[in-house]
Amino acid sequence: MIGDYPEAATGEESVVQPIQLLAPDGTLTEHEVYSAYVNGLSDARLRELYRYMALERRLDAEATSLQRQGQLALWVPATGQEAAQVGTVAALRSKDMIFPTYREHGMALYRGISPAELLVQFRATGHSGWDPATYAFHIYTVVLGAQTLHAAGWAMGAKAESRLETLREAAHTASKPSDDAAASQDERAPLDYPTDEVVLACLGDGASSQGDVHESMVFASSYHLPMIYFIQNNHWAISVPAERQSRTPLAHRAEGYGFEGVRVDGNDVLASYAVAAHQAEAIRAGHGPKLIESVTYRMGAHTTADDPTKYRTADEVASWKAKDPIDRYRSWLVSGDKADEAFFSEVEEEGKSLAADLRSSVLSMTSIDLDEVFDTVYTEPHRQVEVEKGWLKDYEAGFVEEGSAGGEGATR
Amino acid sequence: MAETFNLPDVGEGLTEAEIVSWRVAIGDTVEVNDIIVEIETAKSLVELPVPYAGVVRELLAAEGETIEVGNPLIRVGDPGEAPEESASGDQAQEGSESAAAPPAHPQPAEAASEGGSQGPVRKGVARGRSARAGRKTPVKQTAATPDQSPAEDSSADALVGSGPKADSTKRRPRTRATQPDVVDLSGLDIPRDAGRPPGGELAELVAKASPPVRALAKRLGVAAWELVGSGRNGQITRDDVERQARQRDAERESGRVPSTGAPRTGQGTAIPADLGLLYAGPREDNVQVRGVRKATAVNVSESASSVPHVSVFKEVDVTRTMELRAALKKDPSYEGLSVTPMLFAAKAIIWAARRNPQINASWHTTHYTLKNYVNLGIAAATPRGLVVPIVHDAQTYNTRGLAAAITQLTIDARQGKTTVADMQGGTISITNVGPLGLDSGTPILPAGQAAIVVLGAVRRKPWVVEERIVPRDVMTIGGSFDHRLIDGDLAGHFVSDIAAVMEEPGLLLE
Repeated sequence: MIGDYPEAATGEESVVQPIQLLAPDGTLTEHEVYSAYVNGLSDARLRELYRYMALERRLDAEATSLQRQGQLALWVPATGQEAAQVGTVAALRSKDMIFPTYREHGMALYRGISPAELLVQFRATGHSGWDPATYAFHIYTVVLGAQTLHAAGWAMGAKAESRLETLREAAHTASKPSDDAAASQDERAPLDYPTDEVVLACLGDGASSQGDVHESMVFASSYHLPMIYFIQNNHWAISVPAERQSRTPLAHRAEGYGFEGVRVDGNDVLASYAVAAHQAEAIRAGHGPKLIESVTYRMGAHTTADDPTKYRTADEVASWKAKDPIDRYRSWLVSGDKADEAFFSEVEEEGKSLAADLRSSVLSMTSIDLDEVFDTVYTEPHRQVEVEKGWLKDYEAGFVEEGSAGGEGATR
Repeated sequence: MAETFNLPDVGEGLTEAEIVSWRVAIGDTVEVNDIIVEIETAKSLVELPVPYAGVVRELLAAEGETIEVGNPLIRVGDPGEAPEESASGDQAQEGSESAAAPPAHPQPAEAASEGGSQGPVRKGVARGRSARAGRKTPVKQTAATPDQSPAEDSSADALVGSGPKADSTKRRPRTRATQPDVVDLSGLDIPRDAGRPPGGELAELVAKASPPVRALAKRLGVAAWELVGSGRNGQITRDDVERQARQRDAERESGRVPSTGAPRTGQGTAIPADLGLLYAGPREDNVQVRGVRKATAVNVSESASSVPHVSVFKEVDVTRTMELRAALKKDPSYEGLSVTPMLFAAKAIIWAARRNPQINASWHTTHYTLKNYVNLGIAAATPRGLVVPIVHDAQTYNTRGLAAAITQLTIDARQGKTTVADMQGGTISITNVGPLGLDSGTPILPAGQAAIVVLGAVRRKPWVVEERIVPRDVMTIGGSFDHRLIDGDLAGHFVSDIAAVMEEPGLLLE
């Protein structure tokens, strides 16, 4: 059963079942609203979805190995959450800004960020490997929930820009545009006017308990911001189960803020796509914000520093393995003649070369210059920073004999 | 050519791992990312994938052994090369020895007998299965790591997930501590706050103890910030706190007043005699520490525990000073100003500081700062407690000006108007115990100062003048000094110089 909540807390009937189009056995069901979105996808686009999901999973395996070999400080696997991520990002326009957590590898790949760029942060050779402006994809945010505030701010800007465009057009078309008229019109303008951009704020079930997220949602609701709160409920906030985070489904929280929340089966790439596309459409028309609770499961560890066998049972993991997002999608593609074996082996080959390229890229990354970290905090010399820089130098010089113990990992 | 795969840090800040089981044996062919071994860290069981393709030449640790991060695990060579050849490089001896070891089970005894005298590869091999019993015990003890010691709480369960580091059992040994104030910023043209090292305030107020130890101290009612830590870099440990609590309890136990059988606490209506108490009130009363009392406690305990104090005293005939004082008191320009022995002592201190510059300095471990000015702190007992307001740049005042400044400071202090800024940046302080009828004492240095002068009461005493005993005004002058900076002879010169001026104030006319 997806998402078990205590009856006492919610009343069983009030728990909305997640929207699902593609069942774990690979059969597709019709939905009066959402099927239309899936029906509009070409076979090529359907295969694209599979391709990104498979590549993400291969990336995960390679990055985990690299971490186990001492080449990455940390890795945050997303295996199990591929459909939630790829389906959702595919429903957005390429200019729609995304504010990820640190686990949205499927989205990052879809947006064109290379696996090597993705790993820069995890090898600690830079704060981030990509320019957010190039991919409309913000840097990974490790501070839990902080990105939801950034997203609300960005959405506020996007909304203001749209408003400005509308006013400019009005000024062009009106015979005698008057400043007074524009100003008074602005004051009276309803908050729910259309916008070009939809902003996606990613977060997890754990971050949903953060104060930042509350502030962001209050703000987004107050200003009718064009944004989607995309919560991947992967059931575990490190070792804390989702039912400890919330006594009701997370989607129900949206109602308290005054906007709509939807639950979707996050292991169903088609439902994930359809729901996100539907919500994005409504938001562009001026009916934002929205919340999507994507009910999925983190098949692996929280990070490579975590051992999930200490807090969850093998049976639970097995029950979710049976709902694997890639398996069910692949069997649907095959049964509907949308992809053949040649396609799947092509994707597998691509995954292999992705892994090989990634390995050689990571091994050739150069270390960050610590001086530069200090020197780029402020444009001018700053006492505190200089003190800290000096302190670090003194600290580094204060060890008994360098290098006698040998480096960590294989090549350092 | 063979490659060696060293044990990586698979968690965040792990330092060692136990070999649970090998999944490969010598001679096996492996591909990149094949699982070769299962290890157990403080956090989890982890399968390690190998980063090289080839043939397994050596397994460099036995199952059950604990090895440190960075030490070699396995050697993988080219399939075409013979094992002997692969070992014929710079690690020839070790390689050939190990190649003879049975697959998956290198002989622990052999490894132990080789000890740390071997080459870079072998030294990582642990000392056999006994290591399993104490996973946290550092297995390797080479010259490069002389003082590894398990941190407190090393027996605690490992954390799950990416929280604080699960096992900070070992740190790279250090030759010295790094002070927060080591950086010379003189070339940067950036103003630095006078006399306040970065983090100074925090360092004084925050006990050097980990959160669990603080919690323990709170639970046991021990003032952690007053303890001198026995841990690394002066860190306060669980033991320090528990020892303090035991000692306190023992003192309470032994010092307890014999019970009269009457009610012990909370019986305010009973008269003290009935209770066997000193006065009406509870037997023990916990009084909240706040304000000046709290600040004083923090300051003096920090100073007393970190600065080695040395004190010297000298008895002085101050009759001439008292005569001068009487004269000045009649001078109309001194009307309303308090003309006390302390005023002359203040002038004398400035005079003596000029002759003994190292007195007027502050200590910073790697250097000390000589102050070419005197910010004179005047300790004053006030209704709020002890405060030490400062006369800034006291060397610029003439006697009357100094009298006016001290008078104003004293009035402000008594009225509770002394601000925090008024109390900062002192270089030398005076404490006057004379009004209490005392002759001397051993004051505690204010933070950042190396000298505090103590003035005793002026008494008429028999004094030998030109071989005759005559009554004279006599006072004891002394002080406490930072012994890191000031030895007994310098302290003696300084106090003697002050005494000389007090004996002959005419010296100030020089």
